[in-house]
Amino acid sequence: MNYSFDFQSISFAPLWEGLMVTLELTAAANIIGIVGGFLLALLIMSPIAVIRLPAMLFVEFFRCTPAIVQIVWFFYCVPMLFNVFLGSMTMGILALGFNLMAFNAEAYRASIQAVPREQIDAGIALGLNPLQRILYIVLPTAFRASIPVLLTNGIGIFQQSALVAIVAVQDLMYQGKTLATETYRPIETFTVVALIYFAVSFPVTQVVGYFERRRHLLMS
Amino acid sequence: MTAPITPPLVRMQSLHKSYGPAIQVLKGLDIEMQPGERLVVIGPSGGGKSTLLRVMMGLEKIDRGSIMFGGKPYISSDGLDKKTKIDTEVRRSIGMVFQHYTLFPHLNVVENLILAPCKVRKERKSDATERAVGLLTRFGLAGKAKAYPSQLSGGQKQRVAIARALMLDPKLMLFDEVTSALDPELVAEVEQVILQLAAQKMPMMIVTHDMWFAKNIASRVIFCAGGVVVEDGPPEQVLGSPKEERTRDFIDRVFHIRQ
Repeated sequence: MNYSFDFQSISFAPLWEGLMVTLELTAAANIIGIVGGFLLALLIMSPIAVIRLPAMLFVEFFRCTPAIVQIVWFFYCVPMLFNVFLGSMTMGILALGFNLMAFNAEAYRASIQAVPREQIDAGIALGLNPLQRILYIVLPTAFRASIPVLLTNGIGIFQQSALVAIVAVQDLMYQGKTLATETYRPIETFTVVALIYFAVSFPVTQVVGYFERRRHLLMS
Repeated sequence: MTAPITPPLVRMQSLHKSYGPAIQVLKGLDIEMQPGERLVVIGPSGGGKSTLLRVMMGLEKIDRGSIMFGGKPYISSDGLDKKTKIDTEVRRSIGMVFQHYTLFPHLNVVENLILAPCKVRKERKSDATERAVGLLTRFGLAGKAKAYPSQLSGGQKQRVAIARALMLDPKLMLFDEVTSALDPELVAEVEQVILQLAAQKMPMMIVTHDMWFAKNIASRVIFCAGGVVVEDGPPEQVLGSPKEERTRDFIDRVFHIRQ
């Protein structure tokens, strides 16, 4: 192989711009995912079937279809079916946000249901009413327990967000593709793009590890 | 026998409880407990001991029967509409300590103690904290006020759990196998605290597998098996020379006399 690398022709300005768009997408999707996912978790645990079943269907739809299909579907089908036309950025945020909402709802549900029965019993024995038991015992414990999964899901969405490039959102991946075409240097460009994704993701995974170790200590 | 002038502290009448149609745990229990008594409930696993305490705490529904507490109706179910009526006001005068996961992991020791007083009784935080520190000092835990449950030993956790229950000035304490999950060397410190309460005439109902502790703490022992009270009497009788064949079998087995 006598390919000579040329990183000189890669200009960082468009990649930087793309990274900002990617971070914006990630942040917005995470706000939807963290807040909406919690509300959705309450719905999927509802004893009332009319509330629970549609919520479960929503969760399973997003968990059981590829993210790329969801994004394409959002981009092409939603405007036609519901007659709403939003910007491609908004569409991207909604698609990623709803996807994350479904996964986060499951994380919340699992950690709420993992609160030991004895903790609730102790709350009853101390005279706390049902609302107080949820507010002061179940939710604080469950929320702490779900932090590692929320972070993992959140950073997953940062990576998945590269998929919105196919519907012309000008994110990091999109800028990378454009740059690769302009410079005829796909190897160098995508190497740099990959390194940027890595540089953001890796520290977050370390933070997740820290929270998990701490949690094991807390629960022992 | 003359009737006591004060009403019994607890009067359980014909308690029935089953988990599904096949498993009957309580088959008509009648137990009366006088103020100042320390009732130890012993018996084989699945005999209904823990269920009895959980029912007493209002954690389990019953199929039929009633409980009066301090002369007031507390829990009742007529067996017809499958509804258990629990007077939650009465329930507040009962405290309970469990075997596992007793403390709230996200709160430190003092916060664990003052949560219920502040939220349930609307006590001022400073007042509750002062009482909490007082109790912790009494139980030799003054240095652990700001510690989190994960930083405590099993014995310390159980002592904090006892202090937490006492914050609400219970008129009856329930102890459900509070030393069963502890390392042997930590059992004594928890039992000491319970003995301390006994010395102050705190009425209590205790489920334990520790027969030596039962002997030390009980003013009365009940042997429960198969969902009924098999034998009921002073500790010297039930633990020392039981009258019933089934009690004798059980006592012999736990003391390893026949081997």
